[in-house]
Amino acid sequence: MSRRIAIVEDEAAIRENYADVLRKQGYEVQTFANRKDAMSAFDIRLPSLAIIDIGLENEIDGGFNLCQTLRSLSDTLPIIFLTARDNDFDTVSGLRMGADDYLTKDISLPHLTARIAALFRRLDVIDQPPLPESLLHRGKLSLDISRLTIQWDGQPVALTVTEFWMVHALAKFPGHVKSRQVLMQESKIFVDGSTITSHVKRIRKKFILIDEDFDCIETVYGMGYRWNIMLETVT
Amino acid sequence: MVFLSSFLLVIPWLGYQYILEMEQVLRRGQEQIVLGTAQALATALNERPELFDEGSYSPARRSEDLYVYPIFSALALDDGSLTDWNEYQQYEVTFGDKDQLRTQLNPSRYYSRDETLSFRNMVGEHDGSLYAYFKVSDDEIVYRSRDSLSVHRSDFLEITMLSKEGNEIKRYVIAPYEPEFLYPFQVADGYSNPIHEDRISGQWYESNEGYEIELQIPMDMLGDRLGFAIFDVDDESNRYVKTAVATYRVADADRLGSLRLPTPEIDRIVAGMGHNNSRIQVLDRNGRVLQSVGDIQSATGLLLSSASGETPINKYWLYMQNKILNPLYYQFLTKPSNNFIDELYSDVTREGAHINAALEGEATTQFRTLAYTDTRLLEAAHPILANGEIMGAVVVDQNMNGLRTFRNEAMEMLFNTMLAVMLIVTLGLFFSASRISSRIRSLRNQAEGIIGETGRIQNTIVATRNSDEIGDLSRSFSTIVERLTQYTDYLENMSSRLSHELRTPVIVVRSSLENLGLTAPNHESAVYIERAEEGIRRLNLILTNMSEATRLEQMLQTSEKEKIELSKVLPGCVEGYKLAYPETRFELDISPQPIFIDGVPEYIAQLLDKLIANAVEFSYEDQSIIVFSRALRDHAIIKVSNAGPYLPEEMQDRLFESMISMRPQEKQDQPHLGMGLHIARLITEFHGGQIRAENRQDREGVVITVVVPLFYR
Repeated sequence: MSRRIAIVEDEAAIRENYADVLRKQGYEVQTFANRKDAMSAFDIRLPSLAIIDIGLENEIDGGFNLCQTLRSLSDTLPIIFLTARDNDFDTVSGLRMGADDYLTKDISLPHLTARIAALFRRLDVIDQPPLPESLLHRGKLSLDISRLTIQWDGQPVALTVTEFWMVHALAKFPGHVKSRQVLMQESKIFVDGSTITSHVKRIRKKFILIDEDFDCIETVYGMGYRWNIMLETVT
Repeated sequence: MVFLSSFLLVIPWLGYQYILEMEQVLRRGQEQIVLGTAQALATALNERPELFDEGSYSPARRSEDLYVYPIFSALALDDGSLTDWNEYQQYEVTFGDKDQLRTQLNPSRYYSRDETLSFRNMVGEHDGSLYAYFKVSDDEIVYRSRDSLSVHRSDFLEITMLSKEGNEIKRYVIAPYEPEFLYPFQVADGYSNPIHEDRISGQWYESNEGYEIELQIPMDMLGDRLGFAIFDVDDESNRYVKTAVATYRVADADRLGSLRLPTPEIDRIVAGMGHNNSRIQVLDRNGRVLQSVGDIQSATGLLLSSASGETPINKYWLYMQNKILNPLYYQFLTKPSNNFIDELYSDVTREGAHINAALEGEATTQFRTLAYTDTRLLEAAHPILANGEIMGAVVVDQNMNGLRTFRNEAMEMLFNTMLAVMLIVTLGLFFSASRISSRIRSLRNQAEGIIGETGRIQNTIVATRNSDEIGDLSRSFSTIVERLTQYTDYLENMSSRLSHELRTPVIVVRSSLENLGLTAPNHESAVYIERAEEGIRRLNLILTNMSEATRLEQMLQTSEKEKIELSKVLPGCVEGYKLAYPETRFELDISPQPIFIDGVPEYIAQLLDKLIANAVEFSYEDQSIIVFSRALRDHAIIKVSNAGPYLPEEMQDRLFESMISMRPQEKQDQPHLGMGLHIARLITEFHGGQIRAENRQDREGVVITVVVPLFYR
């Protein structure tokens, strides 16, 4: 069964470039220039994955509305924001809308396809038992690399793909300081340092939501972050 | 303001001038009234020469005439002195050797001339009696011997008069045994047949010069003519009269002096004028007072209604008026008293320029200020004419106290009003000025609050609805701020909007290139594609940097500060830089005491990132970068020093502005927009601090100093 990807993007050149790449990857691609067209098509049939730009023709926040509507239609449908807006505020808003990932258009096409593939893979393996070799355990933390899911103390932590890769990068070598640059490379996004900072803050919040005493991600001022196992062993 | 306010002082001055002018007018009016009174009286007396002759039957003035001065107080005859005559004594007339009389008692006048005998005489009238005194100067007083029946063989006074009835000459002699009460005799010719006359009374007493006689004669005894003679006996043994001095020359009826008496006709006329608050005097042509009505003390001229009968005034106000205001006012207002004495005045004669002028036929007025008092007198004199001849003058006097009082009352009223007006105006000015200044102050405070510590527009001005200039100013300020805010927003968002707009075509190019790279794995074209991608990557970096400052500012606005230990953050950062810049040496010089500031650690790290990146870039090779931090008083100081080229002089101030870069052209292998130090400044200002760049003093190099306040709460 071929995957159907919907791209909602008002800039024709970008839209077609992305569509071409994805078609070469073997995906079936539908392209829409605005929210109305996209909605009428989605009413008939939902795609397997949606890539949405925030600004759509006349609607500045049209992508957000579209995302909300799609999320109400399906809880599991992977949604990716792919936008030129790289500020913190939009990122937070987008993820809060229920998007699975928030990517800026700076991302290279190979990275984009990798992300899409990862999302599909997570979708595929969601019912299968986890493979032992794809599991990473760090104390209470357990990462399922094949499913891109994280559990803390047995409870799932709702992280986006970007956030997953960041935690993965930190937890893979506990105690090692990972600079912002490294984290950016690991999570395959291209944003500035302050966005990394806010990503880290958001990750911390999500963990603290589950465990108030969570303090494993330590800021090393001027250098970056590291996964702290010292405290973990104490607890 | 002060200059304008001083014009207010002109108003009381004008009031003062007005009152003075008014006083002047009133004074002229009073002058005219007084002169009119004088003229009216003079008119009534004009062409009636008989009025002036009534007291005299003599056609012309002669030296024998005795002037009878009106005396206004009772005189005591038994007091043994003349002190009760007091000022009337100045009108006494002296008779001496020129007035010696030859009588049958001393037939040869030149035979025994005695220059030692003289007397001074004064005649007055009071209450229907004639009073007279004689101050006799005599070297030898010879009294009548006890056993002598004759009355002419001692020192004696002879009174000669025409009797009231029958116009016959009567002679009376006063020849006492010793100083005693008078015991006069009426004598016939030859001093024979003395008969006691008890209607004449008086006293004889001795004085230093000789003796003095005071006597009283009822007016109804007297006819029209009267004469006195003093006879002197010096030899007690022979008792011959040696000398006689008399007020007349020849002892006959025609040659006796006439009495000049106040005239009842003039009395009546003057009395008819006498109720007009003036002192009126009628003078004869010699300036002697014939009649005097009224006293000068009460002659105020103006009939003033007293304020005491009016509605009772608030006693506090009365107290204030009497105890506070009046003492103040009368520092410069004169309040004349009615208890003054007119020294020049007497009831006998009058002098003065106005009288002289009147006696020469000219009606005049004059003002005279009494010595030692503030009282001014207004005096008017008008001539009395009869047959083209000046018979005398009418003098009308008034004191100016009434006018002065009137003026003072007006002044008090004026000053009270002025004080009230000034008080109201002052309070009004004070209130309006403080209101205006408070409004200006609040506008200023608002204006100061527009630009916050970071130099950004924070507040706007609330435009007031007041229609005056300040309200107008506030509205235009509000408009200006509004426009400025819009423009600032436009400028602030320009770079991020620009980068946003540029980003889409960049993405188009980039994705197209990547597609091209994927579809055409031609080796030759792959080189160009790679170069194009490299260019696009740098372009993308520029765009990211361009919006970095805007993103940072947006984030700063939502960030919350916390207490952080600067002395822990800095070493951590420097450790990171040692990894990031392996070729560069870092020296750490940080206070051993903890330094706490109120801030956000990520931003402090970011600030240091920018400073270090800058320092590394401009450092000479093999030179260390020094990071220094100390707490100084209530500030924390961070210094990043490098050894490198000096800053251009003109760039030092502009270094921290946006889009300012001073990198040499050959180092431009990386895109630089000059945003680094601008971001450093934004972070410093977010922490309430200051940043500056200076050339190092010790060696060639640059030091960038950040000063932020210490943590306090």
